[in-house]
Amino acid sequence: MVRVPAHGSQAGKGEHREKFYKLILLRNMATEVLTQAHHGAHDDHGHDHDHAHHESFIRKYIFSTDHKTIAKQFLLSALIFLFVGGGMALILRWQLAYPGQPLPLIGHLLSDSFVTDGVVQPGFFMQMTTMHASVMIFFVIIPLAVGFFGNLCIPLQIGTDDMAFPMVNMFSFWLVPPAAMCVMSGFFMDGGAAAAGWTHYPPLSVTSGAGHTMWTVGVFFAGFSSILGGLNYIVTVLNKRAPGMGMFDMPLTVWALFITAVLISLGTPVLASDLAVLFFDQFFHSSFFIPEGMLYADNVHTGGGQPILFQHLFWFYSHPAVYIMLLPLMGVVSDVMSTFSRRPIYGYKAMVFAMGAIGGLGFIVWGHHMFQSGMNPLLGTTFMLSTIVIAVPSAIKTFNWLGTLWRGSIRFSVPMLQALGFLTTFVVGGLSGIFMAAAPADVFIHDTYFIVAHIHYVLFGGSLFGIFAGIYYWFPKLFGRHMNEAWGQIHFFASFILFNLTFFPMHLLGIGGHMRRISDPTVYEFLAPFQDMNEFITLAAIGLGFAQLILVFNIIFSLKFGKKATRNPWRANSLEWACPSPPVGHGNFDRQIHVYRGPYEFSSPLTKKDYLPQWKKLEEKPAETPVTAQKTEAGESTKA
Amino acid sequence: MLEYFPENVSSIGIEHDHLFAIIYYLCVGIFFLVNITLVYFLIKYRRRRGVKAYYFHGNNLVEFTWTLLPTLLFAGLGFYSDDLWTRMKYQDAVPVADVEVEVLGQQYLWHYRYPGPDGVFGRTIPSLRSSENVFAIDPEDPAGKDDLTMSNVFYLPINKTIVVHLSSVDVLHSFFLPNFRIKQDAVPGLKIDVWFDCFKAGDYELACAELCGSGHYSMRGELRMLSEDAYNEWLQGKYDAILASIEQPAEAASADDMMDAGDEMSDGTEIVEEPTQAEQGH
Repeated sequence: MVRVPAHGSQAGKGEHREKFYKLILLRNMATEVLTQAHHGAHDDHGHDHDHAHHESFIRKYIFSTDHKTIAKQFLLSALIFLFVGGGMALILRWQLAYPGQPLPLIGHLLSDSFVTDGVVQPGFFMQMTTMHASVMIFFVIIPLAVGFFGNLCIPLQIGTDDMAFPMVNMFSFWLVPPAAMCVMSGFFMDGGAAAAGWTHYPPLSVTSGAGHTMWTVGVFFAGFSSILGGLNYIVTVLNKRAPGMGMFDMPLTVWALFITAVLISLGTPVLASDLAVLFFDQFFHSSFFIPEGMLYADNVHTGGGQPILFQHLFWFYSHPAVYIMLLPLMGVVSDVMSTFSRRPIYGYKAMVFAMGAIGGLGFIVWGHHMFQSGMNPLLGTTFMLSTIVIAVPSAIKTFNWLGTLWRGSIRFSVPMLQALGFLTTFVVGGLSGIFMAAAPADVFIHDTYFIVAHIHYVLFGGSLFGIFAGIYYWFPKLFGRHMNEAWGQIHFFASFILFNLTFFPMHLLGIGGHMRRISDPTVYEFLAPFQDMNEFITLAAIGLGFAQLILVFNIIFSLKFGKKATRNPWRANSLEWACPSPPVGHGNFDRQIHVYRGPYEFSSPLTKKDYLPQWKKLEEKPAETPVTAQKTEAGESTKA
Repeated sequence: MLEYFPENVSSIGIEHDHLFAIIYYLCVGIFFLVNITLVYFLIKYRRRRGVKAYYFHGNNLVEFTWTLLPTLLFAGLGFYSDDLWTRMKYQDAVPVADVEVEVLGQQYLWHYRYPGPDGVFGRTIPSLRSSENVFAIDPEDPAGKDDLTMSNVFYLPINKTIVVHLSSVDVLHSFFLPNFRIKQDAVPGLKIDVWFDCFKAGDYELACAELCGSGHYSMRGELRMLSEDAYNEWLQGKYDAILASIEQPAEAASADDMMDAGDEMSDGTEIVEEPTQAEQGH
């Protein structure tokens, strides 16, 4: 079955490897038998995919253990929350642009505890800022970047049937609804939802209403969802790669998700412990974070807690979390750019090491969120230097993406447009980060709209454009139909232009000193010149919000009426394109997969076509003169 | 873009704006370099019939170069910035104060305390804090009886080194003086020294820059920077009122104090070290 090809392949590496693959195959078969035994009801062992499984509706569509279904569930829930979070953003944008004017359309529908005569109350504004960020981070970007792409890409791109632990995988998704319910439940409680900012700093988060306690519980659940997903990804990537696939034969998306999973499993438990301790302060009135002599409701606290401790533990997770939200998309964008430039990714190993460096350095830079927090300024020096150094791997990645475009044959399909959108906005977000990394320059812009601009350039411009790229790119694989190209282009250009119109002026607000999280900028005289800009931003933001409806309608209509997708519509190389579109029920692949080469062999001289899939075994005489072709490849690979 | 900064009136602000401008021009340069390259590649290497993409996996020397250059550039920037950072924020680099004032944030207003005619801050005991005594001043300490406390608006002299002892009554706040390029979180249970100076008299806004509750947006204070004479006159008036309210029996002594209010200030600077050491013990 598995045979080392005679020539022309990177995979032929000797007898012992062959034995190893045989072992893996045996193990996979054993797993399959066990899985079947587990599913029980099946009698037909021979051809397990074609026939409809006698699964109940609930096991197939709701509590499914199939990674593709779970990916779809993550996608659906995240898209719903995208609009929930976006709506919240528009409410707060309205208040900033037109303070004191009633909210249009929904103003009079909201409860009196949130609005008076349709005008947003300051407390409600704070709930909106807090919940907008919480929803977007914990229920949109992380589920999409990690949950959706992890489930979609990892098993397909490493050529296996499912995750290592399908039940754990299912549980990982089904922790999201209770998490979301807890976080949102505050809206129905006295005092409203959490309003202490998504960073939830004590003492404010401890001295405020019950919504804050529920927020803590909810985010704790969301963290558990991440941890379960992360562990699953690590085990899957290490153990379930298709025979012939070494770690450096994996597409960069898998590498990125693997490194992300490591970050999750190291960082999220720290957040969980931090939140657990916060919960003790909130619910049992302990004083881990409540200092002595703090006055609250006319009572003076006598505990001896330390508010800054929370911030350290929080950012120990939440800074790597930025990379958790960004790294997977860096992988996706690398795949997309390589495919649509028809070129091998420039500096594949440099890309992997750069992501590893981002992951490693990501754990020693958290203090840059706390330059003004009152931690010892001596630490500020340390964190400034480590933070500035983390710009280097990001720069390497940017240069390598440019190197991938260099001398390519670039096709401007929608996924490619979105990936290019990612690249340009990521560059802006990365550069604005340098201002904050330099601690003295951070003093002024800290907690101003400059930060808001930066995080949106990284998380909306970066992550979300990367997510769009991935959705357009893998939609044909996941659903078997193409998304509409023209509407995709409209969606991209509308999003890209309106995104920049919304968030670029925020840099200027920040330089003007406009604080974030203030519900009425007209209180301050020095912000008076910026009110026009606030209005402009709001109008652009409304446009940006509505532009996302194009994506939703495109998805819905394409599901039903989209052009049928072939097996490998983008003529790409990685393993997901070896299986049918959509992949067959259980097992994904309808043939035995063996990997012969890396995932980016575009325009290889070994073949006349401009792509050479990983699973394709080259027979004799692939090109006119195999000997010279082989030499070229050998020459290249020694150079590389 | 840089012209959007509010007017700067402090010496440290000049250095801040200088550093900010350096980073700004650096970033603008990189931005255009990357984006012009990108657009050039997108046009030049767009799909054309009969042109096959170049099969090439990359070059280690190139990777090494574009790793090393940004490392040197960014690390240089980091070491360059560090000098200003140490002078701005290091607690042992806080200069000797000409004028000291304690600032407390509370939902949603600012409290200020001057040492009073005796030039000494009264001792504080955190557990004594109450809404009547936000500074938690020990009533037993005679030095605390003449402390000058006020809210929202405060006054300071120009061309003097000012040290603010910053803390908070309840939750986190942040002491943000846009025109001075000063920002420091006020943390309950912790005293942090912030120093600045000012070369232009005028009224400046003090903002809270750390979310502190629903009224966060309204937590606005005012700082009136006065010329030295005007400041001394204002301070003398305040001392006058305090001494009158304490109703000391020896009226002659208080009259002396009032007359030499300016000298009292310089006396105050000599006693400065005491509270600073107390804070370091915190």
